[in-house]
This record gives sequence, C-alpha cells and structure tokens, in this order.
Amino acid sequence: MSENRGLIAVVIVLLVALVGVICIGFGALVYCPQPGSVCGGLFGAPSNVSQANTPQPQATAASNQGQNQTPNQNQNPPSNNTAPAGNVLRLPGGSGLGGDPPTLDPANTSDVESATYIVEIYSGLVGFNKDLKIVPDLAEKWDVSNDGKTYTFALRKDAKFHDGRPVTAQDVQYSLERAADPKTRSTVSPLYLGDIVGFMDKYTGKATQVSGIKVIDNSTIQIDIDKPISYFLASLAHPTSYVVDKFNVESGEQPWYLKPNGTGPYKLVQWDQGQQIILEKNADYYGEIKPSVDRIELILGGGSAMTRYENGDLDAVRVSIADIERVSDPTNTLNKELVIEPQLSTSFLVFNTRKAPFDDPKVRLAFAMSIDKQKLNDVVFKKMPVVATGILPQAFPGFNPNLQGIPYDPEGAKKLLAESKYAGSLPDIVWSTVGGGGTAGSDVQAIAEMLKENLGANISVEQTDWATYLSQINGSNIDFQMFDIGWSADYVDPHNFIGLLFRGGSLNNWSGYDNPDVNKLIDEASVEPNLEKRIQTYQQAEELILKDAPVLPLTYGRDYWLTKPYVKGVFYPPLVIERLKYITIEK
Amino acid sequence: MLAYIVQRLIWLPVLLILISLVTFALGLYGPGDPVQVMMGLHTNPQIVEQVRQEYGFDQPFLVQYWNYITNALQGNFGYSLVKYQGQRVSDLIAKRLPITLQLNLVAILWSVPLGIALGIFAALKRKSWLDVFVRGVVILGISLPVIGLMPVLDFALSRKHELGALVIGPFLPPGGWRGIFAPHIIQPAFILGLGLLAVYTRQTRAAMIEVMSADYVRTARAKGLKEWMVVMRHALRNAWIPLITIIGFTLAGLFAGSFLVEQFYSIPGIGALAYESLLSKEYYVIMAFTLIAATVYVIINLIIDIAYAFVDPRIRYK
Repeated sequence: MSENRGLIAVVIVLLVALVGVICIGFGALVYCPQPGSVCGGLFGAPSNVSQANTPQPQATAASNQGQNQTPNQNQNPPSNNTAPAGNVLRLPGGSGLGGDPPTLDPANTSDVESATYIVEIYSGLVGFNKDLKIVPDLAEKWDVSNDGKTYTFALRKDAKFHDGRPVTAQDVQYSLERAADPKTRSTVSPLYLGDIVGFMDKYTGKATQVSGIKVIDNSTIQIDIDKPISYFLASLAHPTSYVVDKFNVESGEQPWYLKPNGTGPYKLVQWDQGQQIILEKNADYYGEIKPSVDRIELILGGGSAMTRYENGDLDAVRVSIADIERVSDPTNTLNKELVIEPQLSTSFLVFNTRKAPFDDPKVRLAFAMSIDKQKLNDVVFKKMPVVATGILPQAFPGFNPNLQGIPYDPEGAKKLLAESKYAGSLPDIVWSTVGGGGTAGSDVQAIAEMLKENLGANISVEQTDWATYLSQINGSNIDFQMFDIGWSADYVDPHNFIGLLFRGGSLNNWSGYDNPDVNKLIDEASVEPNLEKRIQTYQQAEELILKDAPVLPLTYGRDYWLTKPYVKGVFYPPLVIERLKYITIEK
Repeated sequence: MLAYIVQRLIWLPVLLILISLVTFALGLYGPGDPVQVMMGLHTNPQIVEQVRQEYGFDQPFLVQYWNYITNALQGNFGYSLVKYQGQRVSDLIAKRLPITLQLNLVAILWSVPLGIALGIFAALKRKSWLDVFVRGVVILGISLPVIGLMPVLDFALSRKHELGALVIGPFLPPGGWRGIFAPHIIQPAFILGLGLLAVYTRQTRAAMIEVMSADYVRTARAKGLKEWMVVMRHALRNAWIPLITIIGFTLAGLFAGSFLVEQFYSIPGIGALAYESLLSKEYYVIMAFTLIAATVYVIINLIIDIAYAFVDPRIRYK
C-alpha cells in the first residue's frame, strides 16, 4: 500500500482542485441579478426583492422573443428570506462614497460620512428643512431675549426615543453637557457650541458644569450665549448638539453608538462593518413628515457603485468623473435619471503670502491670471464643477453674480510679473499637494504647465499624504509655498468662507492674508443683525480679497447623482440634513 | 527537536518588543497626528492639545509605550481613534481577519493544488504541447498585473451588456462580501489565486525536472520500477522541499497579500483596514497589525523548518 501513497496524494490534490473549480462554476451559474438577461441564475435566486418588480422594458422583450421565460419572473413573488416585506431602498452608504462612518456619536461628528447617518437616527432642538431654513425639531418653539443672548426652548411633548422613552429637557441638558465634557474628546463641540456661557470652562476642565445651560422644567430648557451671534440656531442644528439617551451612552456597549437609541425618523437595525448599514423607519416618529420607505439599506462596499446601479442593485449612485461624459450625453438612457446639485464648496489654489515670491501681490495676481480656469474645467474636470468667479459658491446666500473673477490674461500677467519685485528673478516654486501616486493629479500638472508656459515659472510638485498635509496647513506658520485645497460650508453664512479663511489671524487663514480694510469689514459684518447688510459687507470684503489674490478660486463643486425613476422625493442637499423621510418608492 | 522549538519560540517576545518599540516610535514621531486627521480642516491648536491630553499623547514616549504594553499583555490593544472611533482594535481585527482568511483560503484551495498538479505534468511531459500550454499560463499569470486584470474581468463579468435587444450578464457580482459561499467571492478568489497558480506551477515544474534527472531516479528506473512509482515515491518526495518554503510564505502572506484585491472589490478584510489605518495615523491599529504579522512570520518560519525535517530525513535539528 505504501507505494500508492504518492499516487493517492496526487489524486486528492486533483480532486480538491476539481472541487474548487466546480464551486466557482456553480456560483457563477447561480448568480444573476438581472432577470431576463443571458447569464447564470438557473435557480432563480435574485439577490434582491425589488428586482423582481423592477420594470425592464428591453430585457422582457428579449426574453419573450428568443428565449425561455426567465425563471425569476415566475418563481419569485416579492418576498425573500433576506429582506422583510415592505418597500426597500438601496443607497450607496454615507455621502455616496461608501465606507463605514467613523462614528455615530453625535457629539463627535466631525465628518460628512458620519453626519449623514446621525441626522437620520437622532435629532436636535432645531433642524434644517429642505430649503435649508431653520425649523423646529425637538423644540416646538423658542423665545429669544431682547439682548439676543438668552434662548428659551419649549420641547415637544410627543417626542420619544426609539425605545419609547419620552424626551425631556434633562436629556437635552445631558447631551449638551456631554459634548462639553473633556472625556467625550469631541474635536468639534467647541466650534459649534463654544459660544454657550461656560461651555469652554467645562471643556478645558475648569468647571464641572456648563453654567449657561439651565433646565427650567421637564419640557423647557434655557441656553445663554456670550454674545448675540446671529448663527447660534444654525450651530444648534449641527449633529454635535443632537440629543442622546443617557442610558444608551452608559450601557457599557463598546462603543455605545453601535446600538444607538435616537429620536430621528430612522432607526439603526444592523451594521455589518464594511458591508452594509440597515435603517428601518421609526413608526413613532413625532415629526410632521413621517418616513415612508420601510427599510433603507446603505451599502458600504461592494465594488463599482456605477456597475451595481446599472445592474439594478442600487437605487441611486453618485457619478464619478470616470462616467461623467457618458451620463451627460443626452442620448444615453441614463441621462434622464441624472440630477446635478451645486455644492457649497469652492476649490482654491493658495499662495502663501508669508513666503517669497507670494509676498508681492503682483506676483500672486500674475500667477492667478496665467491659469486658464475654463480650459482646466473643460478638459481636466470634464465640466463637472463650475468655474469659480468669486469665493462664495453659487448656491450660497451672498453669492455675488456680478463678480467676473480673475480673468485669464497671459499678457497682462507677464506685465504684472515684470513690474513686481521678483522681475527677472522669480524663485523656483514648490507646490504641495495631497497624493501618493507616482505623478501628481492631472489638474495639478495642467496648472503647473500653464504657469510655466505663460510666466516661465519653474514649479515642482511635492506630494504628501493627507495626515502629513493636515499637520502642515493646520499649524500657525504654514511652511508650504503654494498648495491647493477645497473648502465646504459648515453652516450657511458668508462668515464661514470670508471670515474663517481671510480674516487676519483666523485659524483657517492658510494664505496668511492680513488686510486691515478686509479685517474691518469682516468684523463689522459678523455682528451685523440685518441679513442684507451683512451680505453686502461680506461681498465688499470678497471683492477686496480677490484684488489681492491671496488665493485663486478655481471651481465651485457640483455633485452628480443618478436616481432610479421609481424613487420619488429624493434630493441631494449641499449640507448634511435629514432627507430620507421625504423619499417614497412608487413602482 | 523540542529544545529547538522552545529555543526558537523564546526569541519571539524579544523580537516583538523590538518591533513594537520601532513601530510605536515611528507612529508617535512620524508626521501627522490622529487628532488632526479627526478634525480635518477645522483646526484649532488649543482643541488639538486638549484632546491629545485626554488621550494621553502628551506623556513621555516611554510612559506611553509602557502603558500600551501593559494593556496589551492584558488583552487590550487599544482603540481606534479616527476611522472607527472608540471601537476596540481587537474587535476590529476579529471582525476582519476571518474575511481575509476565508478569501485567501478559497484562493489557495483552487490554485495551489492545481498549480502543483500542472507543474508535475508539465515536468513529466516536457516540451509536449501540455508543457508549452502550462508554461504559457504561467507566464501570463506572473506577468499580467492584477491591477489591470481586475477592471477587465469586472467589465466582462459584472456588467450588463446590451447588444441591441439582447441583454447579456451580469454573470458575477462586482464586489462586496457575503460570506464564503456567496458568488461574490469568485472574482477576488480567482484573481488572488492566479498569481499563486503561476508560482506553484513553475516551482513544481522546476523542482520536478531537477529531481527527475537525479541519479536516484535513474537507479529507480534501472531497478525496473513502474514510471508512476518512480515519480511518486522517488521524485515527488524530493521535490517537496522547495515547495514547502513557498507554501509557508503563502500562508504568511494570507495576512497582507490580498490588500489590492480587497480594495478593488470592497472586501472588508484586514488589508483594507491596515491601509485605512496607515493613512489616518491609527497608532493602535497599526501596532496590532505589525505585532500580528511579526508573530505569524516567526511561527510560520518555525513550521517550515520543522516541516523540512519531516520531509527530508537528512535535516535534523538539535
């Protein structure tokens, strides 16, 4: 027998290989998400319920003509052991990019991905409606004192956590106190709630309680702020101040937010890391607009989202630049499903005014005038964004349609450079950008080429990873000479762009720009109660800034989404706001 | 033998301490900071400092290292700071490691046996059409870049193609993870196995050709043994030695080898986790990952060495 051992081994090896090949082949036969197409799916197991109902004009025609009826259509009533009855919406996770949200803890929400879930699962005293106006949420109404420094909120009596416990003023207080607690380690709460009296004292460990938050009775809470800022309600609408359940937070689950007990229109029922997050509608939701879709599956991974959308596995998809030409073509069937949404974001090329040669405004302007933004947008960005003419993006209140933007004028640029103090002695420029590839992005390369051609500037590109890049530009003394960066609005107020990015000494003033006239205008505007006047003042500042060109605004962002025609009421807001409750499925 | 194993294992903790020291230092002193990554552009040095203090990042290096090690010895490998805030590193790895292991297991199961079998046949039928064919497959398998092959396969198999009224496909899902028995595993496992198939075929063929021309094979044939007996008993046994080395490293590579594929097919395995963590300065996840990888490599190396002794009686350890 022993002589045969080797032979037996080989036979076993071959058998195993055979089994592997058979398994693969078998799997391929079983899989077929597209009823009516020539593929596997012999056993009629579509991966999703709604596919059985999906209208399929072309496919049905094909299957009726040449081929047998596909098994799927006959055998599968709209029920499946993986999903319960009711209507199901399948969306790409988060902001459409997929991936797990870093947290579902409202107090720690510092990124868009997390916020998209948190606004649906939890709610705050106030929120935004579809038109980005502040509306009551957990608070029914509120009073503002005459000096604008004391807000008294009356809570709704019918609001409940998902587990049925009514929401009280004590819950609101607990949530805000928790955001201030240094142990919560929130990096965002001071930004949104730092204006509350005593908030920073607790945050820095000088006090154990926030003195400006007082519970009047079970359904009334009073909040005092330091100065009468006009955007306080808008900051309360940010997830940082959303209400959490004390018993949930202290449940001992590690971390607690994996099983969140919120108050929002949707509840989290399942979270398979890297795979999917499943939300179900909160039948007891107190709001006027009740959620309609029973179950929302947010797919976190799963390969090309575009492919899955076209295959019918997803009901909406965010279009990437790779597919932009195809879907923008009016003859393409997908074009009818396309929605283009302006975003509240602007991308900038930043000139560090503290570094040679950008300490001379003429050099900055010459650089800005040598860049053909239109061509850049048409060729490199495939017209996905819009060419920027100013700092505030188009969809923003305070956008100035009269601005022409810095013109593309190579001759004028040369003249300016010749007049500057670096005439004939322009130093080499290092452009820092985020990246890890062998070559920099094509936008960076295109701009560097334009600068070389029009000004003879010698530009070398230095790529760094995001973490390193951040540690550079978040310092008080930025070492980068020239770099590119995008900014998205946190709240809908011109201050978020003009004030934060260009006020001398502001933390996000990357260019180091410090113009006393601009500073004065910004300071005036930030306390101006009249909205129209505020906007005018910010616009004046914006014009002055553009003349000095500490940055070159390149483009205003736009998002491209495809949505299946049976999904109604969907919209893609430029800020993260509650939106799932507006969606219905009509098949 | 036992003494040898014990001696090798004693070195493991020493190695782990050295590796962890270096990784820890690189994490703390390298550029970038998890708190800043968390805040993104909303920086405020005062807040960064405050939060760093809460995390204890302001303490001296050795204190932090000591805390880490003592916690790790009690099974607490720290928490994710940025990408999965507050989740235990051990939980994260426990969720993802099985996925990577399953994916690689399937890849190995189809490719390694097939590769060995093909290699044997190619060596026995040298210069025949089979050999030419197998060598062609091998060259393709080694030279085709996975990064280029994945989108092509994805296009061919995972998309719906409309040719007039005829709709073809999709035959396979474009990615994602639904467990080891779902068709989602087919594409990534196929891609992963392709490289292994090529390597194993080539190694087996080379090893077999070498031993087939050895004196003892000629002797065996001269004794009048049947050809398959010569191959199985005399040739293959000796060809195992180089194969064991690559099998060992294939197993060790289970932990890292599937990173590209995981990324492309959005499979939430450990490779994807490691990559994310590196980019967002997740000190603790990177530490855990490095320590696991080091342990696995040491142990696999040991197993390879021991396996040699079993296959080749001439190799004995004291």
